[in-house]
Amino acid sequence: MRLLRVELARLVSRRAVVLIVLGAALLTALIAGSTLWDSRPVTAGELAQAEAQVQEVLSQPDFQRDLSTCQNGPEAFFGPGAQEADCEANLVPRPENYLNRSALDLDEQQQGTGVGVVVLIAALMIIVGTTFAGADWATGSMSNQLLFEPRRLRVWAAKGVAVLLGAGVVAAVLVTGFWVVLGLSAQSRGIATAPEVRDQIVWMSVRGVALAAGGGLGGYALTMLLRHTVGTLALLFAYAAGGEAVLALVPLDGSARLSPTYNVFAWLRHGVRVFDQSVVCRPSQASCDQRLTISLLDGATYLGVLLLVTLIVSALVFRRRDVP
Amino acid sequence: MPANGDLVIETTGLHKEFRTRRGRRVVAVDHLDLAVPAGGVHGFLGPNGSGKTTTIRMLLGLARPSEGRMQLLGQPVPRHLPAVMARVGAVVEQPKFVPSFTGRRNLTLLAHAVGVPNQAVDTALAQVGLSGRERERYKGYSLGMKQRLAIAATLLKSPDLLILDEPTNGLDPAGIRDIRTMIRELGEGGVTVLLSSHILAEVQQVCHSVSIIGNGRLLASGAVEDLVGEQQVKQVRVGVADPDAAQRVLQEARWRVTRDGDALVVEGAEHAEDITRALAARQIYVRELTPVRADLESVFLQLTQDSSLHARRESS
Repeated sequence: MRLLRVELARLVSRRAVVLIVLGAALLTALIAGSTLWDSRPVTAGELAQAEAQVQEVLSQPDFQRDLSTCQNGPEAFFGPGAQEADCEANLVPRPENYLNRSALDLDEQQQGTGVGVVVLIAALMIIVGTTFAGADWATGSMSNQLLFEPRRLRVWAAKGVAVLLGAGVVAAVLVTGFWVVLGLSAQSRGIATAPEVRDQIVWMSVRGVALAAGGGLGGYALTMLLRHTVGTLALLFAYAAGGEAVLALVPLDGSARLSPTYNVFAWLRHGVRVFDQSVVCRPSQASCDQRLTISLLDGATYLGVLLLVTLIVSALVFRRRDVP
Repeated sequence: MPANGDLVIETTGLHKEFRTRRGRRVVAVDHLDLAVPAGGVHGFLGPNGSGKTTTIRMLLGLARPSEGRMQLLGQPVPRHLPAVMARVGAVVEQPKFVPSFTGRRNLTLLAHAVGVPNQAVDTALAQVGLSGRERERYKGYSLGMKQRLAIAATLLKSPDLLILDEPTNGLDPAGIRDIRTMIRELGEGGVTVLLSSHILAEVQQVCHSVSIIGNGRLLASGAVEDLVGEQQVKQVRVGVADPDAAQRVLQEARWRVTRDGDALVVEGAEHAEDITRALAARQIYVRELTPVRADLESVFLQLTQDSSLHARRESS
């Protein structure tokens, strides 16, 4: 516990860590703000303006001509079985067509912006873990710390738990803050949210926090292994630049299952269905589905094993290798 | 001088090999048997690259030996390192702290890691003369202040053994003097100090005993006076009114004579009175007759040159 307290103090004293956390908070706030702005209620003025635009279209002779042509022969416009009413329903503009805005829908946000926020926070927490470990190697203070606590696995574990807790708390605060702001805004706008949607948001947030905390821990472990912040960041950049393309070339049926990105989304979205070009369709097959389902459990297993292997290798190498 | 016959550091057959990136084997420490007695300041002397730092790093658990056994304060290490490190303070090469933290913050974190209270931080800072500067960032410290902070860190644990690796490297003359004084005081205060250095004068000024290594091997070990005495070359410095005449007389007696200003340095005479007798027989009277004492520098140079020659012969 003593070592853990020291490592937590070291973590929160690092200026780079503080800046990254502030950056994460700012970006989360910006995303929440932009989501609220894009779904803001329509004002009377905006509605009047949209209605005026509708009236302007309705008054145009070309539009009236098209409408009456449609009403005389709706099947020419909408295919067999079309009725006269279809013309009015499809051709007559409505004010919402000119407002270009939809109401705040938490279910929709959970699938889209909510996932984006979590991925962003997780990416920043990876950098937190990386810079925390990298600074110890870059300054050489690791050897100094080992002169005070020579049990290397303890040192490694204390630092790792500090990153895990730090990243977890930051992610929990930010994700909770994001959803509380969106939820209160929806409430104030009189938009009801179904209890099952609320549950889904809670569980997705819990998984998101776990992803961010695990990401921070993974970044830390990888940097303890490579002993260089730049080494870890270069590896992550290389993956971002071409890792998925290389994985797609793996001559294995269902190689999409190996993709970290798909597995992250499977974990966050409670499973995903993805297109996998490695699934070969033969002419003899009556039907061929090149889509692949990666379940929540698949994602959890993949990410868990990846993290566990990184942790074990990192800890064992740190225990054995000479420290400069 | 050592307080008793106990050894605070003992290595037996300590050996360390590295592999370069091209796969070539490099022997950094070659079956080193080192014994550091308790008490006083013990010099660990050797030229750059002789294996001093590697030996220290192995003793402190920062590097793994390829072979051999080590003991710190009577306990086998690295197995019992966690038990003994509470009594050992060390600075290896350059001081290494977090640059953006203040001196005090750096020490406080280290102190808390070993359960040392904050008062010990203040005491250590005062001991090394950093009181009043502890709230400045470490990166703004001068080299001398960094070294002082590193020594303050070692004092947090109230150590029985201090291992200092080249502590005066890069310091200005005033800084060097301060650090040497501090080391001497620590040694006199009951702490055993192992001072690794390639600076002969430093070891001779500060240390009671010394181990000299070259090419990873122990070349000599013992009290500084004993080592100097053992290696003493039998030379006598002779002062006379007419050095030219005296030189001719002494050369006729088949001794090696060299000029040292107005004096002569005579080598090869069994007894000093042989020289006075020979000169007096020619009416030349001696006004100075001093045995030339070897200093640590000549001992060191002789030993390390021998070691280099030996290493070259072995490799060829």
